[in-house]
Amino acid sequence: MSEPSATGAQGGLRSDQISGVVFVLIALLTAWENRSYPLGSLSEPGPGYMPLLLAIALGAFGLLVALRGSASPLFNTIDWTESKRGIVLLIACGVGVFVLERIGYRLTMIALLVFMLGVVERKRPLPTVLVSFGFAFISYFVFATMLKVQLPQGPWGL
Amino acid sequence: MEGVVSNLLLGFSVALTPSVLAYAFAGCVIGTLVGMLPGLGPLAGISLLLPATYGLNPIIAIVLLAGVYYGAMYGGSTTSILMSIPGEAASVMTCVDGYAMTLRGRAGPALAIAAIGSFIAGTLSVVALMFLAPTLASFALRFGPPEYTALLMMGLLVLSYMSGGSMAKTLTMATVGLLLGMIGIDAMSGYTRFNYDVIELSDGIGIVPLAVGMFGLSEILLTAGQPTPPRVQKPTLRQLIPSRDEFLLSVGPIARGSVLGFLIGIIPGSAHIISSFVSYGVERRMSAHPERFGNGAIEGVAGPESANNSAATGAFVPMLALGIPTGPITAVMLSAIMVHGISPGPMLITEQPELFWGFVASMYVGNVVLLILNLPLVGVFVNLLRIPYSYLYPAILCFCILGVYSVSSSVVEVWIMLGTGGFGYLLRKLGYDLAPIALGLVLSPMLELSLRQSLAMSGGSYAIFFDRPIAVTMFVVSGVLILLALKPLVFKSKDWRSKVGLDEQA
Repeated sequence: MSEPSATGAQGGLRSDQISGVVFVLIALLTAWENRSYPLGSLSEPGPGYMPLLLAIALGAFGLLVALRGSASPLFNTIDWTESKRGIVLLIACGVGVFVLERIGYRLTMIALLVFMLGVVERKRPLPTVLVSFGFAFISYFVFATMLKVQLPQGPWGL
Repeated sequence: MEGVVSNLLLGFSVALTPSVLAYAFAGCVIGTLVGMLPGLGPLAGISLLLPATYGLNPIIAIVLLAGVYYGAMYGGSTTSILMSIPGEAASVMTCVDGYAMTLRGRAGPALAIAAIGSFIAGTLSVVALMFLAPTLASFALRFGPPEYTALLMMGLLVLSYMSGGSMAKTLTMATVGLLLGMIGIDAMSGYTRFNYDVIELSDGIGIVPLAVGMFGLSEILLTAGQPTPPRVQKPTLRQLIPSRDEFLLSVGPIARGSVLGFLIGIIPGSAHIISSFVSYGVERRMSAHPERFGNGAIEGVAGPESANNSAATGAFVPMLALGIPTGPITAVMLSAIMVHGISPGPMLITEQPELFWGFVASMYVGNVVLLILNLPLVGVFVNLLRIPYSYLYPAILCFCILGVYSVSSSVVEVWIMLGTGGFGYLLRKLGYDLAPIALGLVLSPMLELSLRQSLAMSGGSYAIFFDRPIAVTMFVVSGVLILLALKPLVFKSKDWRSKVGLDEQA
């Protein structure tokens, strides 16, 4: 959980006010997308009935969160220092998922771990290579060979 | 009583077979590790292990996963006491006095009392589960769609009322979960909703990618890059023995924590987390010297640790008796037995006695295994804490991808995990509790189906919910909860969260 550095009388929007409004927007978007499903009636609800009801509830709760958000921390005081690393990790995982079925499980895991340990964490090459290859091959052996879980194979059967 | 004994004997005949025993042991070891490692809570651990249980028989599958669950409750205390790092959320309160005891050179007794309290609470709660679940299941045979609708609505409201954060924020999260549960084919009409031509979304969003994303990945995104943990103390066997005073001071908190934890465990929500906060609050209030709390009071370790273990078992009561999960962990475990074609519900105990009683007996065995793992072998596990987190989290991330992909060999599921992980990270930064999303996702299809079935039964009349006494009672309870939630707003009084100290910790 983030620690606000100040919640005093400074100006600016509060975190609950921003998140509450975002939920109201999500509710509106959901209700808009729900148009294509028949609503049915109160006594005989159709497939669009429940999503609409929930979208209305989400909008109401979002509004409540926003209105009661004056005691929450100021949005610009939330500490986001770890977010840069988080975004890099998410993008790396995204690339990994994209290539997973193209180059196979073991090569993907080796590439991901080499990137995370070698580039993000700046570990020395030898432990990076050992951990990356060790993890990829041992986890493949345990899951694919012993537990018969289907994992994608890449070129040269890797 | 005679029936219970013969059923329990049946259970032990299942639980003591070498294969079940081996998997119970494996579950306890994995659970202890999962509980100790920051960034991998019991939910993410169970979700990652789920695909590996598909090839096992259902009894072994549930015994293994349950071992991970209550093993994590035991293991979570070790890092809390030795390093003030809660391995999982239920151990947050243990950090306060447990780590203070470590600083005073009393790490050993703190670990011992945590393990003994967990063992006693775990065992007592299994006894309660054994008697309560069959009774509740036979009562639930009277339930039809209107009762299930009322029960699910009540469950969501109880969850919101009992959650650690604000009720409005919890209800928002539950609604997000319910909306996510709307994705996929509508069981009544056959319409496919919100799938945007992605075939994999026709089956809806699975609990595993969501759980791993929200609880595993988001935790790593929050904690990656943290400084290397401090040096870890490794108490010897002799140092584990508590003094007579410490032991006597722990008896009451362990007993109260066991009862409190079990009762909180039955109701929906993040019971194992809440129970530890409530237990800590109760012990501080009951203590003749409340000023000792925060400075190494053994009661502050004994109560919460007993409560979170007891709550973990209490959560199995509605899961096994009604087929209704009270939280994301039991939801994943239910999916593990459903994969094997077993329908959860009130008939489970009578139709699958070997599964239920084997499971109960395995928990007795598991508690003994965990006591051994967490006392004499604690030094072995402590070595794991010496692995730098910068090596650990990339491996956990890769495990997340591996585990989620394994569920249905689909990269779409992994994309969902990444999406929910990023979303979960943002929500946690903004102070939202994520458990209601996972519970909402699971309950959503059940709620919609039971509501529409009820209306089909009554020819479209909502009076059906008020003609049936059980449903009416549940709606009255829901109404009372709404009034209780509104009370602090109207009378400007403190709500229960402030009283037990949840607000201070949030």
